[in-house]
Amino acid sequence: MTNSVEELEDAACILIIGSNTTVAHPIIATRIFRAREKGAKIIVVDPRKTHIASYADLYLAEKSGTDVAVINGLLHIIIKEGWYDKEFVEKRTEGFAVLKTFIEEYTPARVSEITGIPEVQLRQAAEMFAKAKQSSIVYCMGITQHTVGVDNVLSLANLSMATGHIGKWASGVNPLRGQNNVQGSTDMAAIPNVLPGYQSLADDAVIAKFETAWGVTLPRKPGLTIMEMMDAIGTGGIRALYVMGENPMVSDPDIQHVKKALESLELLIVQDIFPTETVALAHVVLPGVTFAEKDGTFVSTDRRVQRIRKAIEPIGEARPDWQIICDVAHAMGAPDFDYASPSEVFDEIASLVPLFAGISYDRIAENGIQWPCRTKEAPSTVFMHKDTFSKGLGTFKPVAYKAPAELPDEEYPFILITGRDAFHYHTGSMTRRSKSLTGQINRCYVQIHPADAKKLRIKAGQLTRLRSRRGAIEVEARITPIVQSGSVFVPFHFAETAANVLTNPALDPVVKIPEFKICAVKLEKVA
Amino acid sequence: MIDYRTVYTICPFCGTGCGILLEVMNGRLEGVLPCKTNPVNQGKLCIKGWSAHEFVHSPDRLKKPLVRKDGRLEEVEWDEALSFIASRLKAITQAYGPDSFGAFSSAKCTTEENYLLQKFTRAVIGTNNIDHCARL
Amino acid sequence: MDRLREGIRDALTEGPVAGVMGLILDGGHPRPHLFTKGRIEDLDRLVVGEARYPLAAVLLKVLRNDLDAHLGIVARGCDERAILELVRNVQLNGERVVVFGVACSSEQASACQCPQPYPSSHLSGERVAPVSDSEGLDRLDRLSEEERLQYWMDQFGKCIKCYGCRNICPMCFCTTCTLDEDDLIQTGTIPPEKPIFHLIRAFHMAERCIDCGLCEAACPSGIPLRTLYKKMRNVVTTRFGFTPGITKEGKGPLQYLGDGKFGEQEGH
Ligand code: SF4
Ligand code: SF4
Ligand code: SF4
Repeated sequence: MTNSVEELEDAACILIIGSNTTVAHPIIATRIFRAREKGAKIIVVDPRKTHIASYADLYLAEKSGTDVAVINGLLHIIIKEGWYDKEFVEKRTEGFAVLKTFIEEYTPARVSEITGIPEVQLRQAAEMFAKAKQSSIVYCMGITQHTVGVDNVLSLANLSMATGHIGKWASGVNPLRGQNNVQGSTDMAAIPNVLPGYQSLADDAVIAKFETAWGVTLPRKPGLTIMEMMDAIGTGGIRALYVMGENPMVSDPDIQHVKKALESLELLIVQDIFPTETVALAHVVLPGVTFAEKDGTFVSTDRRVQRIRKAIEPIGEARPDWQIICDVAHAMGAPDFDYASPSEVFDEIASLVPLFAGISYDRIAENGIQWPCRTKEAPSTVFMHKDTFSKGLGTFKPVAYKAPAELPDEEYPFILITGRDAFHYHTGSMTRRSKSLTGQINRCYVQIHPADAKKLRIKAGQLTRLRSRRGAIEVEARITPIVQSGSVFVPFHFAETAANVLTNPALDPVVKIPEFKICAVKLEKVA
Repeated sequence: MIDYRTVYTICPFCGTGCGILLEVMNGRLEGVLPCKTNPVNQGKLCIKGWSAHEFVHSPDRLKKPLVRKDGRLEEVEWDEALSFIASRLKAITQAYGPDSFGAFSSAKCTTEENYLLQKFTRAVIGTNNIDHCARL
Repeated sequence: MDRLREGIRDALTEGPVAGVMGLILDGGHPRPHLFTKGRIEDLDRLVVGEARYPLAAVLLKVLRNDLDAHLGIVARGCDERAILELVRNVQLNGERVVVFGVACSSEQASACQCPQPYPSSHLSGERVAPVSDSEGLDRLDRLSEEERLQYWMDQFGKCIKCYGCRNICPMCFCTTCTLDEDDLIQTGTIPPEKPIFHLIRAFHMAERCIDCGLCEAACPSGIPLRTLYKKMRNVVTTRFGFTPGITKEGKGPLQYLGDGKFGEQEGH
């Protein structure tokens, strides 16, 4: 998030796109409710009429996967009407002229045609967002889990820069991270193309710094993403895989393909707390611990580095995950993995990562610090891009609307959207072992629009088969107007009827995020 | 002797980062209270945060290392599991090069653990094949 | 504060009390803590009034694990009201609980809108006048029935079913809860079934709610729960002359139900 969670409450307008906030980030949703009570206008763009959509001042029911068209449409109106922030555009950005020409063709009529949103609503949304004193954008996986995920994010950046709604209190672009420490994992370069703190593999000075600190020669060639590794296993490129706290047998698209790949590995090491579907395929399993049995930090969605604390001893012979990695490194003969505590690991991080340089366990004992924090004296960065963008001027990068990779056809006539249920989390390995949560719901379901249910003569509670080009699952029907006719929704937490048996592994070409949010399925009742 | 204390920590579920107090009684987690003085959640939680202690003591927890022998996963001591990994990993990466290794890190683990796993992957094995499920 | 610390220290070291529930200030955050003889030095970090946690409920939790324990509690007015009702409802044995009273300041009393910001006796602070707030209720009472229903349905619609109102409530002592029954309230939906989820809770609090406001403070959705429960409380006070947490003697009106005194006529 470029802003902090607290700031949302003070926004005058909040545009929520691709985020089922009440369900996925409840405590952030309630800040939005509070903003609304203080008079903020809430705009929700989503193919489903989510809980927060029913509290919106304006709900734009878009067709799945048309976000770029919606945003370009808003930009078209905002620029045409002269509602954009001329001063901000002039002083802080470049490339506006190109954008202006580019979005010419996104006329309200055309956008309405593509997205299914009435022209008048597009105009209202454009005006609300552009004219409000502080506007914030909130988005989540509904934006990123598409073959056009990066385009979606770029178009939101264009919107916020054109309206000058960024770099101010309560104004900015705010991706909500799905899991507790997605931010921290990414910051620490548990990604193949950068070094910790987003430092470039191509920068000689950076490489030299890390090589000196670690006492090794580092590989310069960017590595493979999860999806690429999956493919590389099949072709013999990857032969050994170390999976820490992940369950690709539920979380990855096209699970049958994943299973085949994992089974063909020569060595599968899995470190986890529960016997997951992935553990079942491992050659060796290392028992890690939960958040309650170790010290460390999580970085939350607003870049806040907060400490977690050991409350109880590890269960059985399980060991803290940081210690296990050091144990494995030692077994491999690596000299440099002697840490007495996570605090020492953190100090090494601070010495190598400028964004974290000013943070230490002592400084965050009481409350967290939001990075960037470059010196011991520097305060939290509450909101980013105040006077300048990281690269100086913000560049408009116009993006064209592209249709999703797999659209419904005669054989597979429905759009399948996957996402979260309010009572579970990720692959369910934790929440499905929690009685308060399984007491609410412990079975998968599919949301079907009443008109479609009637046509197919499917009744509430009936077992329904969903089939895609990749596989089939049978789940219970929930009849609800939350979904549009022609679309169905399935939550992805339930391993036994994993939604990802159906999903399409087609990737965004830049960041390789699979298109979880749209694939084509067929729907039938089970006799 | 009765022992009741609370430990201030952060919710392990979504990325909001709500502050919670774990209630510990005689070495076991007994409940969660919302931290009233954390600036993010100000004494409020969702149902997942309120239940964050429940899965910890699940009887399903993995308690010992396992190694596959004759097709079945069997409990072993730590030393055996670690030396098994070391010898297999060395053999594979020596035969096929460092890029035959890949690591999936975890957005549920700590920042330090993510740092260590990428350091292991890059510095000990010598490949950039590391990723986590941010995309998923 | 010194008198309070000394009182607790004496009770722990010399008296029969095995532990005292209070707040400890640690790492900048006040947290519930059981002060014991074994770690008497913790008392230096005892604080009062820095934040409100349901100390009576936490005390009950500890006692349920150790039925014979003799414990103390650092109690503000609301905590003592909770203890009174927990004893009346046979959840706590009053003889095993020692109250170390703390009177709240007028700022605290007005922040909490507290109907009785002091316990029956206190070792710290000065008694200040109660703050009675009926503004919320009055405003709603002025609405037409239809508007009022609409107001509440809109409020209940914001509920994210966190169960925070129940979980934090010192008077929600039941070990199984109607709000979890799936034949009464459909499970797994957000918002929970309207208005039944909230009305069931309101009915159950009618003769229990000690008007501490912890539920409303814990509600992420900002639903004015306390106003709702106040309404119920007022009905019980007017009809039965009984105010939970305030009326010292006797049973609560609904506690007679199980005695057969009202039951027989109603065909139970
Ligand atoms: S309590 Fe709920 S909203 Fe807060 S971090 Fe946990 S899962 Fe997220
Ligand atoms: S005010 Fe709320 S938390 Fe306090 S006793 Fe009444 S219902 Fe329970
Ligand atoms: S605390 Fe508020 S949001 Fe949570 S269940 Fe109670 S009324 Fe609903």
